[in-house]
Amino acid sequence: MTEYLIRRFIQSLFVMFLISIVTFALIHAAPGGPTKIFLSPGLSQEAAKVQAHNLGLDRPLPEQYVKWLGNLIQGDLGYTFKNHLPVADILWPTVGHTIVLMGTAWFLSMLIAIPWGIYNSTKEYGWSDQSASFISYIGFAMPTFWFGILLQELFALKLDWLPLSDMWTIEKEGQIGDLLLHLVLPVSVLTLGFLAGYVKYARTSMLEVLEQDYIRTARAKGVRESRVIYRHALRNALIPIITIIGLDLPILVSGAALTENVFNWPGMGRLFVEMALAREYSVLMAITIVTAVLVIIGNFIADLLYALVDPRVQLGRKGGTAA
Amino acid sequence: MSEATRHESQTAAAAEPGWSRHGTGTASSPNAGAKPAGNRMKRPPGLWRTGMNKFRRNPYAMTGLVVLLIFIGLAVFARAIAPYDPARIDLLNADAPPGTGNHLLGTDELGRDIWSRLLVSGQVSLTVGFAVAFVSVLIGTLVGAVSGYFGGWIDACLMRLVDVMNAVPLLFLNILILAIFGSKFSYMILILAFTSWMGVARLVRGTFLQLREMQYVEAARAIGVSNTGIIVRHLLRNATVPIIVTATLMVGGAILSESALSYLGLGIQSPDTSWGLMLSNAQEFMLLDPLQALYPGMCILIVVLAVNFVGDGIRDALDPRKQAAGARRRWRAWSRYSK
Repeated sequence: MTEYLIRRFIQSLFVMFLISIVTFALIHAAPGGPTKIFLSPGLSQEAAKVQAHNLGLDRPLPEQYVKWLGNLIQGDLGYTFKNHLPVADILWPTVGHTIVLMGTAWFLSMLIAIPWGIYNSTKEYGWSDQSASFISYIGFAMPTFWFGILLQELFALKLDWLPLSDMWTIEKEGQIGDLLLHLVLPVSVLTLGFLAGYVKYARTSMLEVLEQDYIRTARAKGVRESRVIYRHALRNALIPIITIIGLDLPILVSGAALTENVFNWPGMGRLFVEMALAREYSVLMAITIVTAVLVIIGNFIADLLYALVDPRVQLGRKGGTAA
Repeated sequence: MSEATRHESQTAAAAEPGWSRHGTGTASSPNAGAKPAGNRMKRPPGLWRTGMNKFRRNPYAMTGLVVLLIFIGLAVFARAIAPYDPARIDLLNADAPPGTGNHLLGTDELGRDIWSRLLVSGQVSLTVGFAVAFVSVLIGTLVGAVSGYFGGWIDACLMRLVDVMNAVPLLFLNILILAIFGSKFSYMILILAFTSWMGVARLVRGTFLQLREMQYVEAARAIGVSNTGIIVRHLLRNATVPIIVTATLMVGGAILSESALSYLGLGIQSPDTSWGLMLSNAQEFMLLDPLQALYPGMCILIVVLAVNFVGDGIRDALDPRKQAAGARRRWRAWSRYSK
């Protein structure tokens, strides 16, 4: 176990190191190089030289990389180009907002998907099962942002039941009821997508359990069907369901760029797109690295939980289950 | 051949998918043609023939195929069918409701004909979908084949690369690259392909790891077949079916990704048009003209649904053991690109 942990940890460090190199290289491979990106446009040749020197852009690339990485490890994510604000101040609040949005959708979809999938496994190809299939087909084929736009048109503009976008109404900032109202539409959009996957997961793992010998034994003994399903099968089916869903933990932090953009939600995904359009490369680098690190940590935790919940899993043999 | 025997032989072949490929020299190996004509009656149909029959009997897959072919036809002849130039601005007829004059679906806020724009957008979206699937299957197959066949440090390096690609949030990576290098049509295809080959690579590698220890591979090596020969002729052919299935399933994902990037303003740029771009436009003007958002979204939904049905049909026809894989992959693609 400890050996596995150490190996996994070193592997994660290595992957993070590679990601930092790739991100750094990408920025420096941009046409015109970093000087064009980081320096103000319209500078005279001499002034540009001075500014490049001040920013350390005239140093050799490896040296720049080491300096950047050193700062990053110490939590210094750099400064925005336009207003020279610390990137960390902009970034961290948005991470929280994203987690509020994604966490709600994730939790809600789990709450719906698990009982629904289990019910469907007992009535295979019944109307409920068929409608779950229908939802998963539609959910995977539909552009999420389009669904969001349609919901906005119907519930915010036409019926005026719910707020159109943003996280708070301006004068009600901080009120939980207002936040909940704003959550309804984006959460429904995301929940549909999550549901599309999770109902199938729950159904499949329940069906796998129902094929086991001990279920047949229980039935043969004359145990009531409801007891077979909710006592014998459910307990064993829940483990894989919860762990599979747990493996999706990294999704929570990898942002919901599209949904956040449709609903103007002040999360990480929207920040990223906004900054990409504004060519704020230091913010982009920071977000890429931070999310990658969070995803790797999430994977790591999910793997551990997986082993803890189900003692049959041998950690050493499972290898990397990245995202 | 009577109906009954044909059915029988089909189920026999279906029970053992791919059995005639590199099996133990059964009836349909290349030498079978030398057998007396009488025996040919009993020769079971091969993998492809069986698959085709199965596909034809699948109503979902056939509907998907017909719809997809209609969309492809419309896309190919988009410029010829479109009654107007999709970029032609006509401010006098802006925001015309559907059915005004020659405008079948009305016009947008700049007076551009929506029906013409939909057609040309379809051309763009379908091109991206198929091109991305093709390129990423090419990359994935190459990486997976090299990785699985040679193993050792090459394999370790390539698989770490896969790990890295899987840990990076791909939508962010795409946005980052497009922001740095600019949004060009060709860039977008390459970028989407370069960020979606990992599934194919893993799949090909897995098949290769499994097969490279087989005796027929050993025999091929013993008689001096080159590495390339073994990879292409003996290993890759066994991975054809899953590769085809993955490729079809990838088309829908690529169409969705393109629409997402264009919606965010980093994909196709005006005056060119794509369904995603039309949607982002429609959102701005949704108070004025709520119908505008409906058409492009419907098109994406229908095309992707059709592609997915065809993909599932091909999978069921050729590789019936892999029932669940499609849903899982689609969920993964969704959680990466569409949230």
